[in-house]
Amino acid sequence: MTESKTDTATKVVDFREPRVGVFLCHCGLNIAGTLDMDDLEEYSKKLADVVFVKQNRYTCADPGQDEIRKAIAEHDLTRVVVAACSPRMHEPTFRTTVKDAGLNEFYFEMANIREHCSWCHPKGEATQEKAKEIIKMAVAKARLLAPLQKFEVPVTPKAMVIGGGVTGIHSALDLANMGFKTYLVERDESIGGHMAQLDKTFPTLDCSICIEGPKMVECSRNPNIEIISYADILSVDGYIGNFRVKILKKARYVIQSECTGCGECVESCPIEYPNSWEQNLGTRKAISIPFPQAVPLVFTINMDHCIECFMCIDACGDRQAINFSQEPEEIEVEVGTIVVATGFHSMYEPIPGSESKPAEKGYYGYGKFDNVLTALEVERLVCAGGPTGGEVIRRSDGKHPKRVGFIQCVGSRDINKYEYCSNFCCMYTIKNSVLIKEHEPDTEIYIFYIDMRTSGKGYEDFYRRGRESGFTFIKGRPYEVIEDPDTKNLIIRTEDALLGEPIEVEVDLLILSTAGEPSEGTNELGSKLHITRSGDGFFMESHPKLKPLDTPVDGIYLAGACQGLKDIPYSVAQGSGAAARAATVLSKKTVEIEPIVAVIDPETCVNTDRKCGICVDKCPYGAINALEGKAAVVNVANCHGCGTCVASCPQDAITQMHFTDEQIMAQIRAALEDKAEEKILVFACNWCCYSGSDLAGTSRFEYPPTARIIRVMCSGRVDTDFVAEAYRLGAGMVLVGGCHLPTDCHYISGNWVAKERIERYAKVVEGAGISPERLRWKEISAAEGLIFVNTIKEMSQQLEDIGIDKIKEENEKARKRIEAPLRRKGLIPTVKVAESDE
Amino acid sequence: MAKKRPAFYHFLGCVIPHRYPSVEKATKLVFEDLGMDLLDMVGATCCPAPGVFGSFDRVTWASIAARNLTIAEQGGYPITTGCNGCFASLWDSNYELKHDEELRKAVNENLAEIGREFKGSIEVTHYVDALYNTAGLPKIRKRVTHPLKGVRMALHPGCHWMRPKLLKQKDESERPHIFRELCEVSGAEYVPYKDELICCGAGGAVRTADVKVSLEFTKQKFDSLADAGGADIIVTPCPFCLLQLDLGQVEIQKYFGEEYVFDVMHVTELLALAFGHSPEEFGLGTHLQYMQRKSQPNWERLGIKV
Amino acid sequence: MIQASARSRCVTVTTTEEKPAVDVDDDVDLEFVEMIKKTGGPNIQNCYQCGTCSGSCPAGAFTNYLVRGIIRKALLGLKEEVISSPDLWFCTTCYACTDRCPQDVKPTDVIKAIRNVAVAEGYMLGPHQKVAAKVVEAAHAVPLDKESWQNLRVKVGLEPVPPNASGNPWAIDEIRKITKKSGFEKLIGYEEFMKAQKEKAKKKAEEKKSQKKE
Repeated sequence: MTESKTDTATKVVDFREPRVGVFLCHCGLNIAGTLDMDDLEEYSKKLADVVFVKQNRYTCADPGQDEIRKAIAEHDLTRVVVAACSPRMHEPTFRTTVKDAGLNEFYFEMANIREHCSWCHPKGEATQEKAKEIIKMAVAKARLLAPLQKFEVPVTPKAMVIGGGVTGIHSALDLANMGFKTYLVERDESIGGHMAQLDKTFPTLDCSICIEGPKMVECSRNPNIEIISYADILSVDGYIGNFRVKILKKARYVIQSECTGCGECVESCPIEYPNSWEQNLGTRKAISIPFPQAVPLVFTINMDHCIECFMCIDACGDRQAINFSQEPEEIEVEVGTIVVATGFHSMYEPIPGSESKPAEKGYYGYGKFDNVLTALEVERLVCAGGPTGGEVIRRSDGKHPKRVGFIQCVGSRDINKYEYCSNFCCMYTIKNSVLIKEHEPDTEIYIFYIDMRTSGKGYEDFYRRGRESGFTFIKGRPYEVIEDPDTKNLIIRTEDALLGEPIEVEVDLLILSTAGEPSEGTNELGSKLHITRSGDGFFMESHPKLKPLDTPVDGIYLAGACQGLKDIPYSVAQGSGAAARAATVLSKKTVEIEPIVAVIDPETCVNTDRKCGICVDKCPYGAINALEGKAAVVNVANCHGCGTCVASCPQDAITQMHFTDEQIMAQIRAALEDKAEEKILVFACNWCCYSGSDLAGTSRFEYPPTARIIRVMCSGRVDTDFVAEAYRLGAGMVLVGGCHLPTDCHYISGNWVAKERIERYAKVVEGAGISPERLRWKEISAAEGLIFVNTIKEMSQQLEDIGIDKIKEENEKARKRIEAPLRRKGLIPTVKVAESDE
Repeated sequence: MAKKRPAFYHFLGCVIPHRYPSVEKATKLVFEDLGMDLLDMVGATCCPAPGVFGSFDRVTWASIAARNLTIAEQGGYPITTGCNGCFASLWDSNYELKHDEELRKAVNENLAEIGREFKGSIEVTHYVDALYNTAGLPKIRKRVTHPLKGVRMALHPGCHWMRPKLLKQKDESERPHIFRELCEVSGAEYVPYKDELICCGAGGAVRTADVKVSLEFTKQKFDSLADAGGADIIVTPCPFCLLQLDLGQVEIQKYFGEEYVFDVMHVTELLALAFGHSPEEFGLGTHLQYMQRKSQPNWERLGIKV
Repeated sequence: MIQASARSRCVTVTTTEEKPAVDVDDDVDLEFVEMIKKTGGPNIQNCYQCGTCSGSCPAGAFTNYLVRGIIRKALLGLKEEVISSPDLWFCTTCYACTDRCPQDVKPTDVIKAIRNVAVAEGYMLGPHQKVAAKVVEAAHAVPLDKESWQNLRVKVGLEPVPPNASGNPWAIDEIRKITKKSGFEKLIGYEEFMKAQKEKAKKKAEEKKSQKKE
């Protein structure tokens, strides 16, 4: 694998003189509705090396792509620029088009005039101007593009599914049945997830464990599935086709291979402790399984409670499955793809091991009033296999409630807690009401809701069934629940919003539909996998419509509630979907990856003369070697292409393919040729800030058309020379946008290096006499379109406040100091770079 | 070296100096006992009432409030006030003027007429803040020489010191504890009641608009307190609430024919008693309830022999 | 068991009264929401009508004041109906709704903003005009306007006049200048009000005089 990657990286491919074709996409009215396309065509024709310009209604559609292929042949085009949407959307499409026409696919560049222009600025002169300059920047880069070849790397035909709930189970089964070895990693003692805890499922009232149980068993029997339960993910390295995952298997103190699951040890154990799987409503023994259907059927000793009486050892006898000196075990597995299916956590749900009491300040007296329960607690109570044998009873006196209240949206749709709708609560409340009424037909049911949301197959019928059963639905979000100290009944105070009257309802039992929240450890796992979280804390998909199962990391997929709350059918569908996505990689022997790696010029590297090694320190992947007396060398197999070393090299001896210094400098010069003082030059990390700026466009947030955005793979790629060049050319403001610290960086630590570098350089810039607000480091995630917009708005305002005259004055004053390093390195062109004939 | 004595600009407002001067006097005694200086704000006006003037014209409200703030800004000490309404006007306007450029511009245009400018250089506190944070409970506890042992004390914390909670960040407004802890230092026994946290009824221009409606609130609170077994005194940190709860008893009798007899005190009056000052020293008997009913505080229940 | 809240107001259901439908062309003022947003209720459009505010509202328990309903009408643009209703003035600004609102609508600030619009359009209750005039006249809403109040101060051991505007006429001048500049005097019709007050007092004095004569 290492060899093939190195081979292609160093392979010399033919460079062709630039003959640029520019294709201007109308995107229906998405672009043409805001921008004057004829004007853009006239403008593009005048740009250097542009030999052909064509407008298309939809460049990405078949006819549009045909035009590109035709033009390459007819006009001998050697570079193609498509001015349309974000490269994050259609760059792969057009690369294929260009390749089909016989041109190297890296001779392609996109000008993002939709997300960055027509969608976020109103029609007008300044917007038109911005579009022109975006095209100009793209052409400037395209002229300098070099042909590259993608690396082909072999694929390890194995998969890993993280999370053994109903989603992960289906993902694992599908992958295994397609013939791929699959590791199913589960944090808890048993797979099954939340579904195993539910009594019945809506709207068909199937018994939950009766339909999930067989699937759990199937996982344990399938020869292609290896369940690694009671285990944590320690680290994930590598890339698509070749991930290495370190896993810590916690000690069960029971030898899995020897345990027969007979349960004699449990009977002998004298110690009981609260069973968090039963929501702490029931107990389990110090050696036990959390529930009878557990898979794998292996017992675990909880050392927090075990008194080491060793009765279990006697009970186990000759089987000798118990081992008190068992240690946690660290293992490493190699897989080609990873499916993340880590589910959700239900608010106030006890976490295994903590057995903690809920917060004192629970909503509506939860944790304080005995007869206020969560819906998940009720699932266990209403279940025949649960701690009360299926009796829904009051905690205070064990009596059956005659009047049961349900409060919806507890913690959900609440700006002070979770803004989102938790998706499944309306339906499970109706379901629990039906079950309670079935058990005790004379129970009165009161459901307090803000909106009933029952969209789904058969769901509205179920809602009608609830109404027909005589449930009282009250539109109103209770503002207060008080407890009658004598009866321990709850008095719910609300407005009946449909009557417009304040009412009070006294119930014997109150059930809260608590919000679902990201499961424990979502942030940590996200950091290990380098995948992003959305604003709501759940994992973020690559594209909300077209790549709902993909993450920004190739080869890692999402399924189920870890991406956003969803019910069982939807989760199962996503589990299978993610399996199919993973199989598209696993079913091939090799996979192609981008050749945008770093290459060190041995002639320029000074490590030959004296010890340098800065690049070695800065590389997040340890992919660079600098032996004494020899030039540093990049081990391209490990290089992920962030460019942090490139920008850190004091000798400029390192080049990042497809993001070379010359290419980026050309973009800077094109952006700042006219009215530089009025502009904000933005260097945006592809994964966070650039995606955030795209999101600002897709969300149609409006902001001033002052920004000119240059895409880099990582903020770590942003060289101080780039910033210096910007000021040399008169830039008003410079913004470097990266991922959030500490752990959001797609390349582990590029953002740390960038932040430190920019902050250090900011002192130089300020010392040279430039107002400090004119250079800014900002962390903006892919989900933070609004923050991108606000940042640009704020900086535009500052730009205006400082004023063009003062900026010019500052730039002039700072010129000598700012230019010095550029001059020393010979980076200042002696002749003005003519990007256009104007 | 002796620690510098804390000093506050003392914002009196209207109700304390003009209707309940006993609170002004008690405050001076208590602050002196605790080694805190109160500086006069010469020429201070109505705060002006946040719910009333804020409802009429926000800019004029903020301008008059800002004028009061500028008096303190000249001397550089924080303001303290014993009225929830005054606190709200001064604190809110101070906050809004620091965060709303447009409002600040409009207000400073008005202030320019009288040669003043809002600078945003001082903080606004309530007596409760000064007592709880600056003096601190241990110091107050040390001064208590006459604990009100066995006195059943209900509280009315009122609204504008702690609400809106996210903005003011004073206390958890659904389960406040700071005011209670402060009052409990007096040695009186705290009596909880269901409607402790609802409004007295006077604010927001309601007392002015329709005194009967405002008394409905007060009556509900009294009934709720009666349900909880009643209390000997009601303590509040606000003179407008004090007026509503004190004089309100006379008015309720007039409008609804129902008689309630509670002694109502401002928190500084409670502390003055606990610090051993006699009720005559600050004129507890001048509360309007007593003046109108020609009655006296229930000395016996208060454990004070006269 | 549902019961009307213990502190529920009395409901009268009228079936005979004719209620005209809202006329979209005539009744709806789409600028209204923008005015509210500008004057202190920027989040009014977040409202999803859950009723937390109106449930929490103590004023709603005694009067026809319904916060949620006012916000709903405001969002529909029914400006005239909202600002002309005297119910608008039953909010005591206790902020219970604001502290509980799940959408950060800040209903109290919305109501205050709507009241600002109402006053600007000439809807001000008589007693409110009076108290507003008091501040312009004496710089205090509750002034030291009788000798008995001064006596009360002396009785508790204080100086008869506090150091505030009551003893400093220059402070009142400053307030007059501010309220003139801000247009507040005009807004509340200060001059006319004071003239009417004076005439009323004169008439009363004359009546007293003539009564004495008789």
